[in-house]
Amino acid sequence: MEPEVLFEISRILNTGLDMETLSICVRLCEQGINPEALSSVIKELRKATEALKFFYFIFEVWEPELSTIYKAAENMTS
Amino acid sequence: MAAPPPPAHWSHFEQEQARDVRALVQQVTGLGEEEPGGRFQAALSFTSSNFRFHRFLDVSSHKVERTVEGIYEKLIIHSELGKAVSWKRLTEKFLNLPLPNTEKTKTDAHYAILSLLLCLSDSPSNTNYVEKPREKEVEKEEEFNWGKYLMEGEEIYFGPDMNSPDWSEDSEEEEDTQPLSREDSGIQVDRTPQEEQDQNKKMVPNVTWKVGEPDARSWLEQHVAPQYWTGRAPRFSHSLHLHSNLAAVWEQHLYSSDPLYMPEERTLVTETHVIRETLWLLSGVKKLFIFQLNEGKVTVRNDIIVTHLTHNCLRSVLEQIAAYGQVVFRLQKFIDEVMGHSSENLTHGALSTPKKATGAPFRTYQAFMWSLYKYFISFKEELTEIEKSIINKDKTITLSIVIDKLLPRLAQLKVLHKVFSTGVAEVPPDTPNVLRASHLLNTLYKAILEYDSVGEASEQTVSLLFSLWVETVRPYLQTVDEWIVHGNLFDPAKEFIIQRNKNVPVNHRDFWYATYTLYSVSEKTENEEKMSDNASASSGSDQAPSSRQHTMVSFLKPVLKQIIMAGKSMQLLKNLQCKDGSPQQTASRDAERKSLYTLFLESVQSRLRHGEESVSDIITEQQATKQSLIKMQSIAERHLELDVVHDPLLAINFARLYLEQSDFHEKFTGGDVCVDRSSESVTCQTFELTLRSCLYPHIDKQYLECCGNLMQTLKKDYRLVEYLQAMRNFFLLEAGDTMYDFYTSIFDKIREKETWQNVSFLNVQLQEAVGQRYPEDSSRLSISFESVDTAKKKLPVHTLDGLTLSYKVPWPVDIVISLECQKIYNQVFLLLLQIKWAKYSLDVLRFDELVSAAEKPQLKEGPLLQQERVPQFGPHTELIKQQIHRMFLLRVKLMHFVNSLHNYIMTRILHSTGLEFQHQVEEAKDLDQLIKIHYRYLSTIHDRCLLREKVSFVKEAIMKVLNLVLMFTERWQAGLGAWKMESIEKMESDFKNCHMFLVTVLNKAVCRGSFPHLESLAVSLMAGMEQS
Repeated sequence: MEPEVLFEISRILNTGLDMETLSICVRLCEQGINPEALSSVIKELRKATEALKFFYFIFEVWEPELSTIYKAAENMTS
Repeated sequence: MAAPPPPAHWSHFEQEQARDVRALVQQVTGLGEEEPGGRFQAALSFTSSNFRFHRFLDVSSHKVERTVEGIYEKLIIHSELGKAVSWKRLTEKFLNLPLPNTEKTKTDAHYAILSLLLCLSDSPSNTNYVEKPREKEVEKEEEFNWGKYLMEGEEIYFGPDMNSPDWSEDSEEEEDTQPLSREDSGIQVDRTPQEEQDQNKKMVPNVTWKVGEPDARSWLEQHVAPQYWTGRAPRFSHSLHLHSNLAAVWEQHLYSSDPLYMPEERTLVTETHVIRETLWLLSGVKKLFIFQLNEGKVTVRNDIIVTHLTHNCLRSVLEQIAAYGQVVFRLQKFIDEVMGHSSENLTHGALSTPKKATGAPFRTYQAFMWSLYKYFISFKEELTEIEKSIINKDKTITLSIVIDKLLPRLAQLKVLHKVFSTGVAEVPPDTPNVLRASHLLNTLYKAILEYDSVGEASEQTVSLLFSLWVETVRPYLQTVDEWIVHGNLFDPAKEFIIQRNKNVPVNHRDFWYATYTLYSVSEKTENEEKMSDNASASSGSDQAPSSRQHTMVSFLKPVLKQIIMAGKSMQLLKNLQCKDGSPQQTASRDAERKSLYTLFLESVQSRLRHGEESVSDIITEQQATKQSLIKMQSIAERHLELDVVHDPLLAINFARLYLEQSDFHEKFTGGDVCVDRSSESVTCQTFELTLRSCLYPHIDKQYLECCGNLMQTLKKDYRLVEYLQAMRNFFLLEAGDTMYDFYTSIFDKIREKETWQNVSFLNVQLQEAVGQRYPEDSSRLSISFESVDTAKKKLPVHTLDGLTLSYKVPWPVDIVISLECQKIYNQVFLLLLQIKWAKYSLDVLRFDELVSAAEKPQLKEGPLLQQERVPQFGPHTELIKQQIHRMFLLRVKLMHFVNSLHNYIMTRILHSTGLEFQHQVEEAKDLDQLIKIHYRYLSTIHDRCLLREKVSFVKEAIMKVLNLVLMFTERWQAGLGAWKMESIEKMESDFKNCHMFLVTVLNKAVCRGSFPHLESLAVSLMAGMEQS
């Protein structure tokens, strides 16, 4: 089996899978995991990761900066 | 932190699965197992539970295959043929390959994997996908160790210390050895050079690459077109769609339907190859693959094929193109020939005489070549544009699009070739240049007229031909210009229709007639040019047969006379002015002058521009045309009704016809409607009009100018009019007193019966007479006498025959007053002398002469015969008296006759015709016209003096009377004794008869009205008739 073949198919379909993920998926499918379940999991995980990245930005980057701005504003007004 | 070990009761399979799930979560989310907040665990448990508890059905292989097929169709519909083909091939290949842990093919696992990918797919038609076919091939050779890659995990698992860092380290190692990056394209880009390098080495081992870098080499490999011309069929992928495989399908069909069909080995080319070769062919490239040039014939290679057309179809299309290609080659060859020649002459022929290059193309061909060359430059520009757009790949370009685009050009090529083959190629090789040049110009001219008459349909062709013609005609117009402005016919290659005869110098009497040979005389102008042609024939030109071929340069025909006149006049004028010596003035004037060709071009341009301007307000113009058309129609209808014809269609057509003739309105309506003239200036259908308005006026102007100059010079500086007057003075006896002195001295001598034929005596008399009043003419005038045959001389009236007056006319006036003219003058002179003589002899008779002569013998004989005579005395004197009386009467009758004749000739004929002649001479525009006027004048007086052969019987009668007069005077002088009654009676009856005859003949002529000038003569003669 040529992984390149499958990878090309994946590229045509624009699945967004990289080679490594694809090989994991192949193994899982061979182990009898339902492909639709697998695909829904991957989609959900992707979504969750995106959301996580967003929250991370809100809480870890944006909010601290915001608070420093508030503090600076308070200092100026006082 | 290490991953928690799997529960001990888990089977190996479950453990493996758990590990893969972890890997998946890690891979997709990017979270580490030691992620704070239990996110990883949450994701893991989410995944596991979803795998275990889901509501999806098992994978259906049919469904997956249907979906795969659907995607293929979809890609085809989206015209992503490459993608579709790859998709089909890859899916089939995948299904037929074993999986890492599955030996068989097309298992549920295969379909499950495909199903997974399909579920994850995200609008495949919107992505850019380029397959890298070579990669796969190399993959095969390189043997990616998929098993090892997967087995590595196994080892980790079996090891005593299985943890994810180890695994991840391994994967990192793998990434080192196998450059599998996350970026899809990275995988391919990094590999291709090596692979291709390998391939190159395999394919062409002999080629040494100077470019050492593999990148450059691969770039070259990818960007250099495969050499389809080497005959090896290059492998290129093309769509599997039915439409693009028509050739194969048709081949298949032939193969299956015809048992004897043998498929041939053919070279596969693409349509782009064909298009580009077509473009190259048309731009004149000789070495091509698809089109082959064999001995000037362009053929299509038989063994080429494109995938989407049948062989015959392609061939029939290409053969058409090949025909045009051949046209291009033929014209190109002509251009090369002409150009090659001229360059040779320039390089090593600069010092040699121009005569050496007899085989060299003359200027007309060169000009034609130049115009063709310019046309081809623009044509090639167009072809290059098309080729550029092919290279850019911005637009779809197919062979039929290209042909469609070039269609007008191809039509033009056809026309060009037609003109070329009739005008140049079909001319036999030994034809003289003049025929070649005029034939070419004629062909172009005819072609223009031909296409012009078609109307708007061939406007483009006409404009093309017109531009060609304008270029080609340049040398001719330059020659004309040089000739009619400077007076030298510069034509080294002898291509102009008029040639200078070198052996006749300008200051020669025959210059006007014999200097030029008009080569190609058409039937119409033959009569006009007869004179010059005859004259040239007499100068021994061997071109006579060629002049019978009707190859006159047609466009010059309407102004040919003017050109010849102007040219000859100019040359003459230059020669005359040379003597005067004022070359500097003319040179400075010449610098400011525009050449004829420039003037012509300017006129054409302004005319065309006028046409363009009128296009801007074309609507109003059209309206105006329409209105005038309606008006015309009504007018035409009215006119038709006058002839009891009612046909509206005819009326419309008449109206259209007359619309083109702008003076129609003036003609039919008395000029109260203004015609829209601008409509006729649109270039179409007005080629001849264009010439008439742009070329001929300039020639006409120059003609008028230089002929006017010449006339002026001749009249003013060379005293042409004075010489003509002198001719009339002396030959036509207008200088009455002078000539009276001269001729009476001769008449007296004759009367005295002395010899008068002595030339010295005659000349002395002439000089004496002329020298007093016209001293400058006396040196030019001389008289001679030739004895004529004696048979005629018996009659006294012919005594004067043989007297010849001659007047030495200086050059250039002798062009007009030639020796032939002097002969006619002499004939009239002789007639006048005869009449004068008759008149003089009658005038000088004295009555007492007759009476004294009658009485003399009586006195002598008186004493002797007195007695015998006395009885007879009475009746005898009666008889003598009667006789004398009759003599008197006869004399008066004769005098009346002679005086009438004399009056008629001297006043009615010579004087009035002379006045007319003077008037015409003043108005004469050119020398030729002047010569013609002079000739006409001479022939008129010759006719009216009844010297023409046709009316010789009248002259005969007159001569008889004059003879009678002379005999009468002789007898009169001899005295009455010499008379017998019978002779008097005979004389009377002779005179009466002649008189009667003349009166009858003249009256008849007068009644017919054919000779109005004879009326006075007829009337006066009638008055002299006896009433009996």
